[in-house]
Amino acid sequence: MSKSKESAVQTLEDQLRRLQEIASLLDAGDLPLEEQLRLYEEGITLANTCRDYLTSAELRIQNLAGGNVSSAT
Amino acid sequence: MEEAVSVSDLTKAIRLLLEEGIGDVVVEGEITNYKHHSSGHRYFTLKDEDASIQCVMWKSRNINFIPEDGMRVLIFGRLSVYPPQGRYQIDCTTMRPFGLGDLHVALEQLKKKLLALGWFDEARKRPLPTLPMRIGVITSPTGAALHDIISTIRRRLPVVEIVFRPALVQGDGSAEDIAKAIAEVNRVGADVLIVGRGGGSIEDLWSFNTEIVAEAIVMSDIPVVSAVGHETDWTIADGVADRRAATPTAAAEMVTPFTTESLLQTIAHHEALMLQRMSTRVARVQEIVTEFRDGTTARRLTERVHLRAQRVDELTSRMARGAVQHVAMLRRQVEHVAALCATLHPLAPLRRGYAIVERNGHILSTTDKLIQGESVQVRRHNEIATVTVNTREDTRANLNE
Repeated sequence: MSKSKESAVQTLEDQLRRLQEIASLLDAGDLPLEEQLRLYEEGITLANTCRDYLTSAELRIQNLAGGNVSSAT
Repeated sequence: MEEAVSVSDLTKAIRLLLEEGIGDVVVEGEITNYKHHSSGHRYFTLKDEDASIQCVMWKSRNINFIPEDGMRVLIFGRLSVYPPQGRYQIDCTTMRPFGLGDLHVALEQLKKKLLALGWFDEARKRPLPTLPMRIGVITSPTGAALHDIISTIRRRLPVVEIVFRPALVQGDGSAEDIAKAIAEVNRVGADVLIVGRGGGSIEDLWSFNTEIVAEAIVMSDIPVVSAVGHETDWTIADGVADRRAATPTAAAEMVTPFTTESLLQTIAHHEALMLQRMSTRVARVQEIVTEFRDGTTARRLTERVHLRAQRVDELTSRMARGAVQHVAMLRRQVEHVAALCATLHPLAPLRRGYAIVERNGHILSTTDKLIQGESVQVRRHNEIATVTVNTREDTRANLNE
């Protein structure tokens, strides 16, 4: 388990929350064009990041007793 | 005159008579004057309506319930005499509650105690996290429960990590091991914790009916889902856990309320919404840009924008119907629209030779008018110029405002 993956794990929920926030902001409208563009780009990037993460991740199993649990899977 | 005998000799004779003559006994009666001495030995009287008899149960004899005054029990033991007090008594080896099994009695007793402590109170229980990233699992490494939990989580939300602590789930030392495992997972850290095992007899499930396991669950900083046995098996662990699942599979479902599928659907929904709002805005900016050019190009671009906006509308309403099987296809379509949208970025026309007029860094909109003599910036694809407006005149009515 790499460090970067760990931090991605911790922020998936935050990223999804931010994505929802951006979608609501854009939906409400009334933003200056520059701000809207910036949010839009951030939102699309977030959506792609979350989707990639969700679809690429394999279930990981940490066995506190050591060894693997292949017999059970 | 008959020959006198000593008290000791007489007692010895009585003792021989009783211990050899009666010996092993099984007696049914009601406990009274029960005393659990600090030495660990237990002293009590067994009685019925007409008689009573002293009983002793040494510390070394194990019983798994707590005898109480008034309890009807079956005593297994041996009749013996205690010479110093000239008393006969039963040396008990085992004791069973009369009627009910001893485990049932112990369960009822512990239930009563924990109820008084408030450990079953719903108000004490914590909500489970909605998107756990580390799921603790404590169960037997060889049982079906582990397999059910892992395969369910893998199917629903494979992005998570399972922190597995194998534990003894029945037999000697299992309660202690489960309690230790709960503390261990708390040290390592997890967002939620499943503790359980498959079905079995009351003896098999016994470790989940112990105070030590109940206490470990109550002390856990991590919310605990219990999954012990089948629907019909209720254990103390189920009572004190934050949530009770009927089966290990149900526990795995409970800790993953959101699945990969549902999350992807939500993301696609947000994406479609953002695209729709952005395209509407882009269309407005597009109108500004086309003010400077001939109507043919403008009309074609506008048509493309409208076409795309309509497709986004379609996508949005189809998603609203929540057709799960369409998610993958919708995603491809949304990505296609995203690519289209990128080509309609307001600055994209600059690559094709268009220019944008800005005043103090803000794009002039359709309704903004140039002022004779002012300085404005003309932004082209790879250059920007500050120009002075020599002359200006209205060329057509502003239809938009």
